[in-house]
Amino acid sequence: MATTCTINISSDAAPGFGGISESMTLTQAGTVVDIDNTTGFQRRKLSATAAVDLITMASELIEPKDSVASKVYIRNIGDGKGNIDKSVGVTIGVKAEPIGKLYGGDWMMMPLTCVDTDDVTATPATDDTVVLEFVMFYEEA
Amino acid sequence: MATTTAAVTLTSDLLSDAMSVTASTTCMKAGTTADGLDQLEYAVVEIATGDEYDLICSTPTASKASKLYVKNHSIDETYFVAITQNAQAIGRLYGGDWMFIPADFHDAAGDIAITSNGGTNKIEYALFHEGTALTAT
Repeated sequence: MATTCTINISSDAAPGFGGISESMTLTQAGTVVDIDNTTGFQRRKLSATAAVDLITMASELIEPKDSVASKVYIRNIGDGKGNIDKSVGVTIGVKAEPIGKLYGGDWMMMPLTCVDTDDVTATPATDDTVVLEFVMFYEEA
Repeated sequence: MATTTAAVTLTSDLLSDAMSVTASTTCMKAGTTADGLDQLEYAVVEIATGDEYDLICSTPTASKASKLYVKNHSIDETYFVAITQNAQAIGRLYGGDWMFIPADFHDAAGDIAITSNGGTNKIEYALFHEGTALTAT
């Protein structure tokens, strides 16, 4: 039951930069045992600038184990109808801490603590409709 | 215009129907559609257990569209680094794990900090950004 994630980064910002190509298998903390729980792939449509919980840790039906090897993937897919605005973004945060803004088409892969108060939040910059796709992988408490 | 692209492929057979997600993005400067990120800080550092350190030693311009890649190259799966920002715990990268995030660096407290656990962790990072505060000699 393997979950794998591969990243490829290319850039001509520096002529000598050869790019990055790495793959990881998501495992349980401190082991080579595959991670064994997921929220499943979800999408959330937002149409206001208010901050919302994308993932409310205390509300997960299967309680995630705290401070281990959990990961979340999030992507801003635009308005969900194929229109992607690279100039408008959604700030992703953990608890009250803003991590960074996902502009249209941007994606992120981030480790999580899954502590009950460390919810993953999303705050759109405008009230234009934006859709986020996300999935969390975690260990059961 | 410099062009930086980041592509991901995520697969999982945890669900009855296997999941496979692919995505690619061209990393633009904040609020633009035609001007790509054109500056890069790329390094490998070894971090001993103990203190918490700022991973990025420069001061990237706050609230832009910076992207940060971090990989833990430790080959011991029990080793990990704890990632925090502004004293908020984000998560752990165990040996072999990587992350790719938009990095806001919203103010002087918004640095990405890292603490090594288990032993000395070898960390690779790449920050794609649109400017930093340089230190005058």
